[in-house]
Amino acid sequence: MKQKSTFLFLLPWILILSLFWLFPIIYSLILSFTRYSVLTGEASWIGFSNYLELFKDPDFWTALKNTTFFVVGTIPFTTFFALLLAVLINQKIPLKGLFRAGFFLPSITSMVVVALIFTNLYAKDGYINFLFQLIGLPTPEKGWLLSEKTALLSIMAMDVWMATGFYMLLFLAGLQAIPEELYQISDIFGASFFQKLVHIVLPYIRPMMLFVILLNTIKSFQIFVEIFVMTKGGPLNSTLTMVYMVYDTGLHKFRMGYASAIAYALFFIIFSFSFLQMKLFRVGKAIGE
Amino acid sequence: MSKIQRIIIFVILLMLLAGMLFPMYWMIKTSFTQKAGYVVDLKNLSPWPLTLRNYKDLWMWGPFLRYFLNSLLVAVLVTLGNLIFCLMVGYAFARRRFFLKNLLFLSVIFVIMIPAHIIIIPLFLLIKFFGWYDTYLALILPWLVTPLGVFLMRQYIESLPKDLEDAARIDGAGDFKILFSIVMPLCKPALAVLGIQVFLVNWNSFLFPFILTSSQKMRTLPVALALYQGYQTIDWPHLMSASTISALPVIILFLFFQRQIISGLTAGALKK
Repeated sequence: MKQKSTFLFLLPWILILSLFWLFPIIYSLILSFTRYSVLTGEASWIGFSNYLELFKDPDFWTALKNTTFFVVGTIPFTTFFALLLAVLINQKIPLKGLFRAGFFLPSITSMVVVALIFTNLYAKDGYINFLFQLIGLPTPEKGWLLSEKTALLSIMAMDVWMATGFYMLLFLAGLQAIPEELYQISDIFGASFFQKLVHIVLPYIRPMMLFVILLNTIKSFQIFVEIFVMTKGGPLNSTLTMVYMVYDTGLHKFRMGYASAIAYALFFIIFSFSFLQMKLFRVGKAIGE
Repeated sequence: MSKIQRIIIFVILLMLLAGMLFPMYWMIKTSFTQKAGYVVDLKNLSPWPLTLRNYKDLWMWGPFLRYFLNSLLVAVLVTLGNLIFCLMVGYAFARRRFFLKNLLFLSVIFVIMIPAHIIIIPLFLLIKFFGWYDTYLALILPWLVTPLGVFLMRQYIESLPKDLEDAARIDGAGDFKILFSIVMPLCKPALAVLGIQVFLVNWNSFLFPFILTSSQKMRTLPVALALYQGYQTIDWPHLMSASTISALPVIILFLFFQRQIISGLTAGALKK
């Protein structure tokens, strides 16, 4: 009796898992070794050809370079600002709740909406240019998203703005776990704000920081929506990212096999990055608590 | 920390907050500007003279209502599905012993961690194969059980006392009756967290609704917004009104359920 209901209770997960996760993951691995034609539905086994093609494909290297640049260029800033905001909000100040809510709000807004707002702000006659001109800084001729040199950087700045609030919350949770006594003791010894920051806060927050970096790494490598809405990979591939390339190759050019190979290459890269981070910083220990 | 230091911090935070919220404000302001003779007056930050014209236009314009209702329908159904199914699956993990339990639970963690981009191509093909492409089924079925939801419910149910369930069993209640009339009411706080979280994610979702549909009548709000831009000149006042409408449910939910949203989002990160 109980056995039967146990199975029925688990059934939704078993179905979703096998149909929409396990099968696609395995199927796409197989696809990556084939040349698959959507029109005829025929797949022919071509071994490692797709993966070999990757190495020779300049677009792939561009996408890999842009994606890595995005990840490496945003995470330090997001982490720094998130921790800074968390530390500031954690002080004894009025309107704490308002600050927490206000900083957090962008990160639960739809990515599409945020990307649209920033497309407006970054336009040639947009607000950012207005501000830059106001203080006499040079501005890109065609608008931020239309010039090769600034497009990716502009999207990165937007992402830092958007993601900071979420990681701030994680840091706040970490800060609240620090025993109050530590602060009291350091007050008795007359420790300054910065001494407390370096000797109490940072050591305590370290596991959370490593976790934040890991989470953000996995997420940032998959950047897609912003690119689709704002630049479609342009101008001149300067914002082409890996997932955008998967989408473009598979669902635009209908090269399913090659797209799957790109997806698996990215999967492997994300996996190695996360694994390396876990090994280097022993994050596993930190989240296992 | 001295009083002066705290005042300085407070002022810095206020300035940062203003900068942080400016883009959202700009969206709302633009949504209230008259379209005719729309010239961006960047120096003027006040929304006056405001007009509701753009919003009226949107609701009068047939497809927009459809996009809105599509988004609502998908988000609500996926949320309901998750409330029921994550409860069931989470309950089984929390209370039952069964064959390969650890492995199956590992699969939950595995799917939480896996980068979703890996299923873009195969899911597209699978949905086509089933004939679900460009239907509500494609937008709803794959997301009916969220692994994070299963995780959340298992944790919560494990923390509940078993006595009530045992008592009900002695009284002769069946397994489903116990789950839905005894356990479910006790899980209200966790279900609230789960429901709001799933609703927000699906309301905002772009990637999969975008790749799994093609016709205009199946578009959800985020998909419609993202594709709207393709035309030559951008009609910002209308686009920002539509964006505001898309962001509004999120903001409202956030105002009322901030605590639940925060614990839902951090649940995956701070498993204790």
